[in-house]
Amino acid sequence: MTTEPIRVEGDFPVYFRYTVGVAGEKFFREIMENGRLMASRCSSCNLNYLPPRIYCERCMSRLEEYVPVENEGTVEAFTITHQDAEGNPLQEPVGVALVRFPGAYGGLVHRTIDVLAIGDRVRAVFKDKKERTGSILDIKFFEKIS
Amino acid sequence: MQGSKTEASLLRSVAIVGVGITELKSSTPQVSYKELIFEAAQKAYEDAGLNPRKDIESFVCSSEDFLEGTSIFDEYVPDQLGAVLKPVCTISADGMYSLAAAYMQILTGLFDVVAVEAHSKASDIVNLSTVYDMALDPVYTRPLGLNASFVAGLEMSKFLHSRGAGTNHCRMVVAKNRKNALSNSLAMYGGIVEAKGESQNPVLSYPLTEYDVAPVADGAAVVVLASEDAAEHLRDDPVWVKGLGWASDSPTLETRDWLDATYVRLASKQAYQSAKLRNPAKDIQIAEIDDTYSYKELQHLEALGLIGDAKAHTLLEQGAFERDGVLPVNPSGGSIGMGHTLEMSGLVRVVELVLQLRGEADRHQIKGVETGIAQCWRGIPTTSGAVVILSNR
Ligand SMILES: [Zn+2]
Repeated sequence: MTTEPIRVEGDFPVYFRYTVGVAGEKFFREIMENGRLMASRCSSCNLNYLPPRIYCERCMSRLEEYVPVENEGTVEAFTITHQDAEGNPLQEPVGVALVRFPGAYGGLVHRTIDVLAIGDRVRAVFKDKKERTGSILDIKFFEKIS
Repeated sequence: MQGSKTEASLLRSVAIVGVGITELKSSTPQVSYKELIFEAAQKAYEDAGLNPRKDIESFVCSSEDFLEGTSIFDEYVPDQLGAVLKPVCTISADGMYSLAAAYMQILTGLFDVVAVEAHSKASDIVNLSTVYDMALDPVYTRPLGLNASFVAGLEMSKFLHSRGAGTNHCRMVVAKNRKNALSNSLAMYGGIVEAKGESQNPVLSYPLTEYDVAPVADGAAVVVLASEDAAEHLRDDPVWVKGLGWASDSPTLETRDWLDATYVRLASKQAYQSAKLRNPAKDIQIAEIDDTYSYKELQHLEALGLIGDAKAHTLLEQGAFERDGVLPVNPSGGSIGMGHTLEMSGLVRVVELVLQLRGEADRHQIKGVETGIAQCWRGIPTTSGAVVILSNR
């Protein structure tokens, strides 16, 4: 008989369907239909939230105005990640950037195909229109503008 | 306005009258989490000289369901803690938040003696990475399929770049904390490691390597708080809670401050105000702070406002944060040297600070310390943290 301490195996299998909400609908449908980034605007704080939201975290106003944001921005921070979400080593490490866009407050975090440095200029590359599904993955990655 | 409100509401003093903690271990297959908590609770109640079934009026626990593997986990705490048939509640945050809640329960006069509990059974979690993955925003971030450590990688690259610091400074933090842990009998990961040279450790999310990450550990801690009258009755060396604060930055990855630990700057400001410290840099002689990642110790130090406008990595080079430095930082070994205990991490910092202020921190005792600070962070991807100021005077 084994003298190993007894441990009971278990897991936590719960599945979700996450609602993206009013501002999320605006953001993802604009990408799906027009391949364009959309921010929500707080005119009292003069902030254009990207990704958009229906409230201003500074003044708590309800935001109803949306403004387009150009899909070229600047790298604010960059890393190369070597593991997948579950912690397994990746064959090909993945570049990840936080990108700021002119006139927008916030930005986007996404994969990159280039090794980048802080301050590099990049552009969001979208999937072909017919392949877009209303997901952050409708943006394929950021690529460097040379 | 905030200042006067804080001062006016300090109706009575609150002290820590008992601490209990288990040794931190990389795995504890012989004992359940309940048995770990029971051990810490017994030690704390004995330290306070209290009968929990008679003398402790309320209990505040800390846990996060996904780290426990049990939903609605707050139902699982009363029995091993002596809290059956008593007021008990759980806060889903670091143990330092529970300490703040217990402090307020006493401050209001609702109770005189309250116990705080936090624990880690990290070794029961088979795939901890997935818990952090599930903490990422499910709409904008999680679909990218990235390891959550990318958040720390991004922040570390930004922080080092802006400060003109290097990964060598991060290695110095690790070397300091693991060396300090050698003198701490509670610590799991004490050791002598090379501070210089390139790290050979696997890269998690460049420039973050495995070496920069505090390895997880199991354990439990219980802290007993009491009102001024009760404290003076219980022991002649109570440690006073002089002030505390907690704050969160903008939570989304897109709108948060990626450079400064704003949550620590705000929390410490609140804590200094409630403690009425006019010159925290002069008054505070020891710091037990969050070092979940090596660079976080430097970033948190700068946000605490204890080193003026100096850069933390420059002072680190000069040995300022060593045990014999001007401001000993994590003389216990921190989470890097002791082990990262999930939601218990902040309460470990508090226990270590209490032992220092009572002169009971055995081989890592800093001589003559009277006032110190403890700080926690809730880990990636959060921008939440708390600060507490303790004093033996
Ligand atoms: Zn606003």
